Amino acid sequence: MIDTILAAGSELATIKIFAFMMLGTFAGLMAGAIPGFTIAMAVVLVLPFTFGMTAIEGLATMMAVYVGGLSGGLMSGILTGIPGTPSSVATTFDGFPLAKQGKAGLALGVGVWASFFGGTIGAVVLMLVAPQLALIGLEFHPWDFFSLVLFALTVTASLASENVIKGLIAGLVGLLIATIGVDDIMGYPRFNFGTEPLKQGFSFLPVLVGLFAFSRLLGDVRDPENAHKSLGGEGAEAVRIEHRKAAVAVLTRWGNLLRSSLLGVFVGVLPAAGSTISNILAYDQAKKASKTPEEFGTGNLDGIVAPEAANNATAGGALIVMMALGVPGDIVTAVMLGALLIHDVIPSPSFISDEPVLSYAIFLSFFVANFMMLGLQSITLRGFVKITRIRMYMLTAVILFYCSLGVFALNNVEFDIWTLFWFGVLGFVMRSLGFPIVPIILGAVLGGIAETSLAQSLAISDDLTPFFTRPWSLFFILLGFMSIIFPTYQKHRGTARWPLFFVPIFSIILAVPVFMMGGVVRPVVAVLMVLLAVGLLIRNLRHRPDKSVLIRGSADDI
Amino acid sequence: MRITRDVVVGIVLLLLCGTFTIATLDMETPSFGQMPPALWPRIILAPLTVLSLVFLIRALVNPTDTGPDRGGPMGWFRYYQTPIVCFSLFFVFLVTMPYLGMLIGGVLFVFVMLCFLGGWSLRQIGLHAAVSIVLVGAMWSIFTFALGVILPRGEIFTYY
Repeated sequence: MIDTILAAGSELATIKIFAFMMLGTFAGLMAGAIPGFTIAMAVVLVLPFTFGMTAIEGLATMMAVYVGGLSGGLMSGILTGIPGTPSSVATTFDGFPLAKQGKAGLALGVGVWASFFGGTIGAVVLMLVAPQLALIGLEFHPWDFFSLVLFALTVTASLASENVIKGLIAGLVGLLIATIGVDDIMGYPRFNFGTEPLKQGFSFLPVLVGLFAFSRLLGDVRDPENAHKSLGGEGAEAVRIEHRKAAVAVLTRWGNLLRSSLLGVFVGVLPAAGSTISNILAYDQAKKASKTPEEFGTGNLDGIVAPEAANNATAGGALIVMMALGVPGDIVTAVMLGALLIHDVIPSPSFISDEPVLSYAIFLSFFVANFMMLGLQSITLRGFVKITRIRMYMLTAVILFYCSLGVFALNNVEFDIWTLFWFGVLGFVMRSLGFPIVPIILGAVLGGIAETSLAQSLAISDDLTPFFTRPWSLFFILLGFMSIIFPTYQKHRGTARWPLFFVPIFSIILAVPVFMMGGVVRPVVAVLMVLLAVGLLIRNLRHRPDKSVLIRGSADDI
Repeated sequence: MRITRDVVVGIVLLLLCGTFTIATLDMETPSFGQMPPALWPRIILAPLTVLSLVFLIRALVNPTDTGPDRGGPMGWFRYYQTPIVCFSLFFVFLVTMPYLGMLIGGVLFVFVMLCFLGGWSLRQIGLHAAVSIVLVGAMWSIFTFALGVILPRGEIFTYY
């Protein structure tokens, strides 16, 4: 492994790549700092510039944008109280009050250093865990991959929307979009409705930019008053970041830092749960663990360390699954997967062992980008303050044009810009009707993988029982089933009795495929799962909730 | 029975499912033992149809999500006026691209959109013209000269 890391390091250590990465980090930081401008949009916009680069150059640049975007959100969050990205929502809870107390330099410093350490921990875990997970992934057969894709889609569909049916419909529409054009298995055209351009199907990038960025930009300027507002409010002023004091403050809070970073990595590994969730979860955990929870929300440094460490570490977790299994868990990793595919890099369980130098170069670029982010924050801070004076509508008009330029550069065909337009309309309409966009995009990305896995499994055997008898496949099907019920469980938790038994009973059911996996460790884990579940079941049976609460809850439900 | 927004959405979804299902009937079937191209789309369409039906029935039985009241078709148009105009401008930009090319078309698109969103006062027109020429021109130059992308030139440039 050390040899591979050294080889990857030497591939990466060129002035050209470092310059590209610096530019990428800068672009990510600026994009992350602009409220309403998400990391995914930044990655999408930078992607066309990497077409002419080699795989390592392009991917290192994209990684730098990703890391920069994750960290950029804290600037506007702390200085104006408006988070640049959803990943920095919790940072504003204590960052903005601290800035208002005249300690903006310290607040920014703590945010920057927590982001750096969180990202570094995430990168280390990525390098250690991704190859191990890929080894597990090598056990997967086509049936297992198909079920894994189904699970990723169901969990995204159920978590992305309050209405599970809308989420599932969105996911299925995404899968349907992926079927348009020539099928990968036999090469026959599908759903072209007699038109020639549709025979080729839709390229991934225009679909993604249209559904996500195009529709969102027009949603942002729907209200003319909103369109005339400055991007980051009027209150942002450049300050000097107190690096030394902040670094010491973060390191003295090492327990919070480590817990939040590991929590971030864990959330990143879960499909559909990204840094939007992890920063709030980490903040909540830091508050619960604090001896002075009442100080949270008034400018407590722990309240800045936790979300910023968690959101950067989440990227490491999300990349673990994407690189090891080839399955993106959220919108940013879906875009990153698209970027990898454009550079002919196809992540899969065998990818890390087949292309170790390239894999570790990607991991290392994530690691190095965190150092660049640290160095560039002070410079971008001044740029950010200038950018906040730009009106929203100006950015929208120019970016719409850049989007069309970027998607055209992909294949040099105008049809791609038309695709961007029509999917922009579709995305806008679906957003307006309350349908979540993320499941559609994941469906469009994962549709090809699901179909190929299904075709491979049917080519091996017509028998469908392996979907339910193979341990990993059964494991993912059960998890997918649970994810569909999960919103109902959350809705009724504390108000009805059945949710008390949901987790223990489901753990016992889930232990079955884990036991079936064989070996020594996994059956032991399965037995432990059953024992814990039985203990939880007995505890829940003994400590029945207050009946009046249940009745009141039921009445509320009616 | 009230025709709510969700009822219309449910009907449109069912029509979509019907259209796509009928289209699967025309797909070629391989003569050897491989997965037919129509199988995977049908696997997707089956649950999509069921869910659309459930969505429609729920909307009919319990019309809770009727959507915000925009005050009739004109109110609806006023509410979505900005995105509709922006989409229309982009549409015109695409239609005219073969004639105007990416550079001229892009500058005009950005300029008109900036003026529509930002206002048409003399000062704003000057600012918007400068912004559209500089930013579109700069990005066009990067793609053309630095990245080597051959962008649509436009027919007007073919007549000297």
